[in-house]
Amino acid sequence: MPEELQKDPLTRGQFLYMGAVGTMMGLALTVPPAFFIMDPALKATIFNRSDIPHVWREIGSIFEVPSGEATAFRVTFPQKQTYDSGGPNSRVGSLTETALASWHDGKIPDLVKKRSEGATFSKSEVRTLEKNINVMSNACTHMGCPVRWDSVHHQIVCPCHGGIYTINGMHVGGPPPHGLWRYVFRIREDGIIEVRHKWVQGTPWIV
Amino acid sequence: MTRIRDRMAERGRDVADWLEERTRLVSFMEKQLYEPTPRRGMWLYTLGSATLFLITIQFLTGILLLFYYVPTTKDAWNSIYYIMHHVYFGQLIRGMHFWGANLLLIVIGLHMIRTFLSGSYKPPREMNWVVGVALIILVSLLAFTGYALRWDQEGFYAWEVGMKIASYTPLIGAWAVSLLLGGDTVGPATLSRLFVFHVWLMPAILAPLIGVHLILLRLHGEFGAAFEYSERLAKLNKRKQYERMEEYFASDEEEEESSRGE
Repeated sequence: MPEELQKDPLTRGQFLYMGAVGTMMGLALTVPPAFFIMDPALKATIFNRSDIPHVWREIGSIFEVPSGEATAFRVTFPQKQTYDSGGPNSRVGSLTETALASWHDGKIPDLVKKRSEGATFSKSEVRTLEKNINVMSNACTHMGCPVRWDSVHHQIVCPCHGGIYTINGMHVGGPPPHGLWRYVFRIREDGIIEVRHKWVQGTPWIV
Repeated sequence: MTRIRDRMAERGRDVADWLEERTRLVSFMEKQLYEPTPRRGMWLYTLGSATLFLITIQFLTGILLLFYYVPTTKDAWNSIYYIMHHVYFGQLIRGMHFWGANLLLIVIGLHMIRTFLSGSYKPPREMNWVVGVALIILVSLLAFTGYALRWDQEGFYAWEVGMKIASYTPLIGAWAVSLLLGGDTVGPATLSRLFVFHVWLMPAILAPLIGVHLILLRLHGEFGAAFEYSERLAKLNKRKQYERMEEYFASDEEEEESSRGE
């Protein structure tokens, strides 16, 4: 009699079978929706895939960058996100950002002073220019608000929480954790500045 | 005149009886609508009902706005402009949704303050406090996502700041942002996701939680209602009575001991 009471109506095999079937059903119910929702996060963080194709975009000429201040240039990148990268009738979307350009410490290099718009530069001159120019995002590194050049105090300021940066984009005051994000850029031989939707310091996520 | 009034009242009773017999609706309404509240600060106890009323308004006006709102980056702002300028009562419906949301946040905040100051979070009502906190978080998130759905400068930058805050989350910051953005940039997927959160996901969580909040309220009643005070006062009086008796016996014993000593 006690043996009969101790006997479990469910055998070990049945228990394991039920566990396996339950796990399979649970996975079938949760994995597809989870991956469906997380698709962009997986592509962006694990596979490092961007919505912006690897293209160079013109922002302006070096002759438009004045002495002693940072100037804003609008730049539009092609963007392929959700239905923008969908079927045959889909259009290519766009993403417009603002880049701030300034000369290092606000000083125009001599080789620019001597020339005017339409002049060309040699490869070594281009390298010198690239070392002397700052091409930065106008998104504050604190909360992403658009920063602007303050001509009274000669600094870049954020209107939201008072972040302050130097003309070179270095953080000098307020809550931002570091200096402004710097675009990966190049200068063409005709003095045109081109940027990619990529930053020297990493991925800012919001710019 | 009196005869007509009597007849009308009788007809009304007949309808109520008919409904009660078939659906128990009248007794259900009586049970749900009437709740004893403390006499002190009586009006402050209506803030919960006011919150429920405002949420209902948000649900109704939200459904109406969906008839015209288009959740695409190209058309979102234009569709709101169309609602405001070309649809009959568009300004009224959208205004109710917008100002209702602002008012809701104020009223829900006051409701929470009242609950806290009156000690209504104390046992056995802790779970209702927890559900209430979840509800206030959900309503705040709903307000925040709704703000960005306009896809204007104000809403856009508010959402951008929100994303930036999310990006500071330790370990999962990048995941959280790309999940909310629907990619690595702000674009059409971002607006689609905002729309899903605001219109489907969060209301779907909010509605049953409101039900739980109300069920728990009915279960325990309002804290500090008259009957609860009388019960507490009775207990307090009993305790004081015991204390007085103990003091009386203690003083008797002391007297006896002192008389023996003499």
